[in-house]
Amino acid sequence: MLEARNLNFSYGDKPILKNVSLQVPPGGITVLIGPSGTGKTTLLRCLALLEPPQSGSISIDHETFTYPWPAGKAFTPPWPKLTTVFQQLFLWPHMTLRENILLPVRRRKGGDIHGELNALIEAFDMKDFIDSYPNEASLGQRQRVALARALMLEPRYLLLDEITSALDVEQIAKILTYLKGLRGKNIGIFIITHLLGFAKHAADQVVFMANGEVAESGSPDILKNPQTERLYQFLSVIAAAS
Amino acid sequence: MSVLDILINYHMAFLQGLRVTLELCAVIWTSGIVLGVLLGVTSAHFPNSWGHFTHAMSFAFSAIPTLVVLFWLHYPAQAVFNVVIDPFYTASLTLSLVNIFAVGEIVRQAVSDFPKQYIIAGQVCGLSRQDLVTKIQLPILFRQLLPGLMVLQVGMLHATLFASLISVEEIFRVSQRINSTIYRPVEIYTALAFFFLLVCLPINLTAAYLKKRYTRDMSER
Repeated sequence: MLEARNLNFSYGDKPILKNVSLQVPPGGITVLIGPSGTGKTTLLRCLALLEPPQSGSISIDHETFTYPWPAGKAFTPPWPKLTTVFQQLFLWPHMTLRENILLPVRRRKGGDIHGELNALIEAFDMKDFIDSYPNEASLGQRQRVALARALMLEPRYLLLDEITSALDVEQIAKILTYLKGLRGKNIGIFIITHLLGFAKHAADQVVFMANGEVAESGSPDILKNPQTERLYQFLSVIAAAS
Repeated sequence: MSVLDILINYHMAFLQGLRVTLELCAVIWTSGIVLGVLLGVTSAHFPNSWGHFTHAMSFAFSAIPTLVVLFWLHYPAQAVFNVVIDPFYTASLTLSLVNIFAVGEIVRQAVSDFPKQYIIAGQVCGLSRQDLVTKIQLPILFRQLLPGLMVLQVGMLHATLFASLISVEEIFRVSQRINSTIYRPVEIYTALAFFFLLVCLPINLTAAYLKKRYTRDMSER
């Protein structure tokens, strides 16, 4: 289980996360939704152990990271057992997209990594651009590569920040179907998205954040029958816009 | 007397001058690249101490004309300390200092401004510290630094001409001496240009090769 307990995070005097607690079970999809600027990406960075919260704790299976982290104590995050695909992707610009995927996995795995890669190339329709450089690919193509890079590492927990924002409907469907299939591999997925349809149909758990707090969480049913006024307002605005 | 005649008749003198110029360059380029890179990396890691020092020295050396520093080290400094130093060493020291701090500042800025997100992406992918440096940081930095450093080194080659003003027998001084004997400035300085082309051509070809091999437009669409 990936679990956050009572996380508090602030930039200077401005609180970003207020006592946030949540659980990401392995083999399940947890979808985080909420208005822009509400602390979703900060929460993801805290869960990824990239941003130390001022207080609280994060447990990854049997390993617990309690904050504030004691000065001088060794910090060894369990990467890539826990890995992240960032909204900005951060593909290495001097390597082809194929090399971007293969570099991390080459040192970690023996066996047929090219066979695994070819299967992902097929699944994500990457054949036509896999040997291009990142700047020669569109944002949607790069999003698929960044996801493939993370999946090749066979993480136990995968944190995804808006990774379908530049994909067309067909590609979104393919990737989300693929993500649903990862349940069978017991991978825990935490995904920030604005795709409420995906949250309704694929999520095991939906977490709604507003003003740095978990305002409501539960099964995807909360998207049909919100229990809080804030989630109701959020869904109403989205419904009106669409 | 044509340029060719001058090249034939004075080729030994020109080659001797060229040898001194290349010796100067060997010292300046080697010290500049090796010590400059070390200085730049150290400065990036210790911005409040070495960083300020490198920035200040680089600013000083770019603001004060190289010729002034060269003359200062050759005449007043030696008089103050009551020593006589071979002008070749004075020129080597002066131009090396200029190059070391210029390279140091370029490297300091590149390392300081290196996009941290590429390192973070590597960390969450489980890359080792060694892989982060050798596979991500160094290749990207090398591609960023290469054009600027090559231009700087060609500039340092040109700066060796100043050494002639403190009596270093490099190729420009040799040319002046030949000119004072036969007074054929157009032909002599054309021959000098030919020698500089001869030296710069391999550098430019190497730079073009490295640029083609390693640098590309990395800006995203």
